Amino acid sequence: MMAAAQALEREVADLLISALNIEGRDAESMDPDAPLFGAHDIGWGLDSIDALEVALAIQQKYGVELRADEEATRQAFTSVRTLAEHVAAHRH
Amino acid sequence: MSAELPAAAAPLLELVALGHAGAADSPMFWLQGLPVSRAGFAASAAALAERLPNARYAINVCENRFAFATAFAAAIARGQTNLLPASSSPDALAALRSRYPDSYVLWDEAVRGGVLVPRKPNGAALHEVPLIDGAHPAALVFTSGSTGQPQAHLKTWQSIHHSGSTVAARLFAAYGHVNIVATVPQQHMYGLETSIAVPLAAAHAISVERPVFPEDVRRALAALPAPRVLVTTPVHIRALLGAATRLPALAAIISATAPLSSELAERAEIQFAAPVMEIYGSTETGSIASRRTLEGPHWRLLDGMQLDNADGVSRVCVIPGTEVVPLQDILEVDGDGFRLLGRSGDMVKVGGKRASLADLTFKLQSIAGVIDAVVFQPEANDHTLVQRPVALVVAPGLSENEILTALGRLIDPVFLPRPLRKVDQLPRNTVGKLPRQALQQLLVNA
Repeated sequence: MMAAAQALEREVADLLISALNIEGRDAESMDPDAPLFGAHDIGWGLDSIDALEVALAIQQKYGVELRADEEATRQAFTSVRTLAEHVAAHRH
Repeated sequence: MSAELPAAAAPLLELVALGHAGAADSPMFWLQGLPVSRAGFAASAAALAERLPNARYAINVCENRFAFATAFAAAIARGQTNLLPASSSPDALAALRSRYPDSYVLWDEAVRGGVLVPRKPNGAALHEVPLIDGAHPAALVFTSGSTGQPQAHLKTWQSIHHSGSTVAARLFAAYGHVNIVATVPQQHMYGLETSIAVPLAAAHAISVERPVFPEDVRRALAALPAPRVLVTTPVHIRALLGAATRLPALAAIISATAPLSSELAERAEIQFAAPVMEIYGSTETGSIASRRTLEGPHWRLLDGMQLDNADGVSRVCVIPGTEVVPLQDILEVDGDGFRLLGRSGDMVKVGGKRASLADLTFKLQSIAGVIDAVVFQPEANDHTLVQRPVALVVAPGLSENEILTALGRLIDPVFLPRPLRKVDQLPRNTVGKLPRQALQQLLVNA
């Protein structure tokens, strides 16, 4: 169970790195709880265009549709861990 | 300055257009599937105007379009100037407050010291719509470049009103009274014109929502009656196509902020069964011209625009008798419009913001530990929605992350290179220049 969750986190981190052209990042070394938005030095430093890229990549890979006006989506976009949890709960 | 010519007196213009038949009761906003009438909006704006504090500037960061438009109109009715910052982060607002001390903030969500603007009409009856002097400084719109402070661009009430009516006449009038969903923020010039100036100056209505993800766009459109128009950008069109979203019947799709490829326009016209129209404009001038992307490279000027090419610089006069503005691009005059000869090769645009590649390179080179560096725009890829600038850096003692962190403090983070790659040396030729092809190759192989 834990291993599956960790594998999915890793997969989501890899998806972020390839979808956003940030190959300089190493998925393994990123803290799964690091914030997705905001300061670049403590987290991923993503912006609103990245959110659109990530939402599209997640829909294409897992068939999970994200809606910006839902509280669940806002929470999902907190970190790689929350994003992976959201995918696990909604994937087909 | 032409001191001999007396300045043409600016006309008085209605704050909310009520000239057409049945105007007072016709929809101006769509709020959760229900219409807000023009009269209902005007009454709400009048009521808000009465309770605004005395100040010269109103910092309008409202997100909901009804709230934003109410605040925008109320501030103008009180003789104030709307400040429209691109960011409402505490830092950005603090910087704006210190630059414009005689100001207060208009919010529609949490009140953090300022005025809370309701997201719904107040239900009061309308007495009178004020006439506003066209010369009134209605808004300051900001461009954030790569350099320091955002630059302010003044928009008079006449110029706001003019852009609303010319954009509506060119792009919407053929479909009757349209209902618009816009994915762009109203604090940006294109969003201000299409989602605020258009409903203020012409008989069209707009959804209060600003949907971002494809599924949000579909729902917002489905909540409106036909004829529906989607006002958006190439990024959102790509996302809608990528997600294979099925949208309700559309009268038209409007795109601006970045060039739209004819390949993307064609796919969108087929999938959404609607013409894809592009607007050409800038923060300095507002919208200047339009075209249907698939019909070719000819841009048709909007009504009243005067284009002039001299000394290799293209300039446009938006309203006869007002200021002539130089453009970043070189245009070739052609019949009732122009062809775009080229964008200034140094400029890069991301998310509606623009920066100079030379300046980004200079900032990157200024970081301690960086020996040589270049920021450039690579060949377009099919893999991401947005092509960001990339960088190659010679910095043996720094990690890529350290360089990005340092650079993030010097420039707007939307321009952070993706990717930034470390190399042993840059492929400078004998005169020290960096051939584009060599850079592209090094980027792929690094």
